Amino acid sequence: MINFKKASEIALNSAKSKGASYADIRIVNTEDENISVENGASKLLEKNNSFGFGIRVIADGAWGFASSSDLNENNLKKTADLAVKIARASAKLKKNDLVLALLSKTKDSYRNPVQIDPFTIPLKEKLDYLLALDQLLRKTDGITSASAFMDFRKESRFFSSSEGSQIEQMLIQSGAGIEATAMKSRREMGKRSYPDSNGQYECKGYELINELNLEENCEKIAQQAKALLSAKDCPSGIKALVLDGAQLSLQIHESIGHPLELDRVLGAEKNFSGTSFATLDKLNKLKYASDVINVVTDPTYPGGLGSFGYDDEGVKAERKDLIQDGLLVGYLTSRETASLVKTSSNGSMRAEGWGNIPIIRMTNTILIPGNYSFEDLISEVDDGIYMETVSSWSIDDNRENFQMGCQIGWEIKNGKLGEMIKNPTYSGNTVEFWNSCDGICSEKYFKVWGTPNCGKGQPGQNARTGQGASPARFRNVKVGS
Amino acid sequence: MISKGKALEILEKGLKYSDADQIELLLLEEDFYLTRFAENIIHQNMGRADHTVMARAVLGKKLGVAVTNKIDEDGIKKVVKDAIEIAKNQKDDPDFVLLPKSGPAPEVKGFYNNTHNFSPDDRAKGVKIAVDKSQKNDLISAGAFQTETDVTAVVNSLGTRQYFQETKANFSLTVSKDEQSGWAQGFSREVKDINTDKLSQIAVEKALSSRNPVELPPGEYTVILEEAAVASFLLFLAFLGFGGKTFSEGRSFMKIGEKITGDNITIIEDPYDPVMKSMPFDYEGVTKKKVVLIENGIGKGVVYNSYYANKNKTESTGHALQPNNTFGPYPKNMLISPGNSTLDEMIASTDKGILITHFWYINYMNPMKAQVTGTTRDGTFLIENGKIKSAVKNMRIGQSILEAFSNVELMTKERKLCPQYGVLMYVPAMKINKFNFIGG
Repeated sequence: MINFKKASEIALNSAKSKGASYADIRIVNTEDENISVENGASKLLEKNNSFGFGIRVIADGAWGFASSSDLNENNLKKTADLAVKIARASAKLKKNDLVLALLSKTKDSYRNPVQIDPFTIPLKEKLDYLLALDQLLRKTDGITSASAFMDFRKESRFFSSSEGSQIEQMLIQSGAGIEATAMKSRREMGKRSYPDSNGQYECKGYELINELNLEENCEKIAQQAKALLSAKDCPSGIKALVLDGAQLSLQIHESIGHPLELDRVLGAEKNFSGTSFATLDKLNKLKYASDVINVVTDPTYPGGLGSFGYDDEGVKAERKDLIQDGLLVGYLTSRETASLVKTSSNGSMRAEGWGNIPIIRMTNTILIPGNYSFEDLISEVDDGIYMETVSSWSIDDNRENFQMGCQIGWEIKNGKLGEMIKNPTYSGNTVEFWNSCDGICSEKYFKVWGTPNCGKGQPGQNARTGQGASPARFRNVKVGS
Repeated sequence: MISKGKALEILEKGLKYSDADQIELLLLEEDFYLTRFAENIIHQNMGRADHTVMARAVLGKKLGVAVTNKIDEDGIKKVVKDAIEIAKNQKDDPDFVLLPKSGPAPEVKGFYNNTHNFSPDDRAKGVKIAVDKSQKNDLISAGAFQTETDVTAVVNSLGTRQYFQETKANFSLTVSKDEQSGWAQGFSREVKDINTDKLSQIAVEKALSSRNPVELPPGEYTVILEEAAVASFLLFLAFLGFGGKTFSEGRSFMKIGEKITGDNITIIEDPYDPVMKSMPFDYEGVTKKKVVLIENGIGKGVVYNSYYANKNKTESTGHALQPNNTFGPYPKNMLISPGNSTLDEMIASTDKGILITHFWYINYMNPMKAQVTGTTRDGTFLIENGKIKSAVKNMRIGQSILEAFSNVELMTKERKLCPQYGVLMYVPAMKINKFNFIGG
């Protein structure tokens, strides 16, 4: 195969010779291994490899992008030419020439720290472990369906730009989870997952599987799935709400991360993913949340699923404030959007694989932990509900109005957890909700939860993001229907 | 675009590299183009050429799947070898019987040169029509113009040989300003049938009509769902209950022979309906069958792949997804039988109600009851005394789809083809009573 540096020279020279004022190429190789078992049988054992390159150019002041899975000299030139041709078509409908925020040229490489390369562990060992978990789940009477999965990814990314940057990265990510379901009379279902409904994903190696302690949680979630069949319905009313880290991770993702993507704020996703209420005029003015809320974007966080060395524009990963003491102070940016607000990019441009245009995506969106113990958080609630594990979610296209459902809940009465609740739900308005937060658990309870399937863009791109959260408490929230 | 001869030659070579008991090879090729626009400019514009081969190897009751996008001789050899190696590490799946054997599927024409040859300049021209019309009305347009050519070929060691080429053209736009917003979408196998002027006009008119929206309290209303909103509900029903996996695991609302919806609802999975022009076989090469899902409100059937068909002692209906998917079989070409009304007649017959253009972020609240939430979007209007009175601020629904489909008073005679998440649906607009909103 052609050397990547040579390939990048061919592509970038070809694009420049056709009139591109800027060009970059990403050559990406993604290897996935997916293993899942259900009810005592292996349902999927798969290895997946996708390799290709994408060339992004600016010509006549507008963007063009073309990509292909065939890396050879002729095709590099052909694809670069196509990218320029596409850019020229874009230029027919532009207002101003594109300007990118300045970026100094970089030559570097990055690998995320990994103790055990998951691709060195024999498939049989992984499968045996999952089948053992599945058996443990089904040991509880009344469990009608059980499943367990593992998912590993190794992705090499080579980036080179006409500005002289050249960056090589290798990322290894691992994920795993278990689930138990109990059914009653085809109308009632109790479902429990661990660690979350998507399991847990991190930028780690096979060591994550050992850290998750899945086997120790099989009996607990199976018993809970069964108990949900006879649990009481979620009461309706305005109550205090305590969320576990997994659900709070989703709440951060949907109602802080997405609204602060600057491309969305500027209307780029209007036709599909939507817009954002957090418009530019609200920067440094909007009291987004209560004083206890501090949120950062941090692709440097060790092990976070949204961690990397450089984004897909070659911008170095860095931690930046989004919300400080409740005040909106920042957005997720690209070089293009950063230039519009006269700042530098904070490295949030990411593409799925080689065949998609980088767009602004969350990295690790982290809610800084507070000082509470979980017991103290609960003890200050007279009448409320504690909810655990993502089940269902929906938020409007402006990211203001949401409805969330969890797998399980418990009443909180006079400072103590009480009866179990099935299908617990809550709803609210983003700014009101975050301003109602009056307590966050400490670092001891903190985890960066991995979301392996964040969707955005057209064609839909899947991104892997992390959200840092520890359990938190909200007052006067509408719960139930 | 890869020809039938070349595609089958590549895959048949793969069969020869295998010493597994059985092997299946699936080739997918895409030539994908998309022009996105927002704020009245083209802001993302792309092309992608890719091909993927998936190998599924069988050793007794053990299955292994490997996927690659390297389709030269070495790539094919490796993917076959990997699939066999994976199968060797597998455990027996007692419910697996055999890979399916299928004769050639009927000929369906799904490929059109006018779409295949559509250029970036052609797409820019289409976008310009939308932008000009929006600007003329002091509005802002955003949208996407997509054209693609796809090839699917399947072979297996039992003699199955299938090949299909298809084109797709999809144009959608949202026209807006402040609280005003309007949306429209068109889909066709032939891009020449996409009328960007007409679609832009619909979106502009909706945006202009949605000035000064009023806020309505949550509660029960009569609603008129335009076709895209109906399609979102249908898609969710398919997701929750029309597949053989959810059905056999007891997670589906479907009960064969029992009342599921109102008498006036008939839902059919029919890839051979002339509007569909869809692939006549599934990803394991089985020729697709027409399946009546719900007939006059009664549950009639669900769709199967070979695995769940074996498990349920029935025949595959040709609805397998790709072999690396564990979701189970899924309908991809659904139709709802039409009524005999028109949108204007439905509005005229409504004393008080809400007209909904489409939904956003539908997700389930209680899957066993097909109860979902989501919001209205880009054109929600209050109807009073048979006329549209004003725009309405977006509202959040909390509604069982089955109950909604039990309360359908009228449907349009005309239907529209709605593509959503890889599924084509040909559906009428519906007037539905007792529809529940849970918030603003």
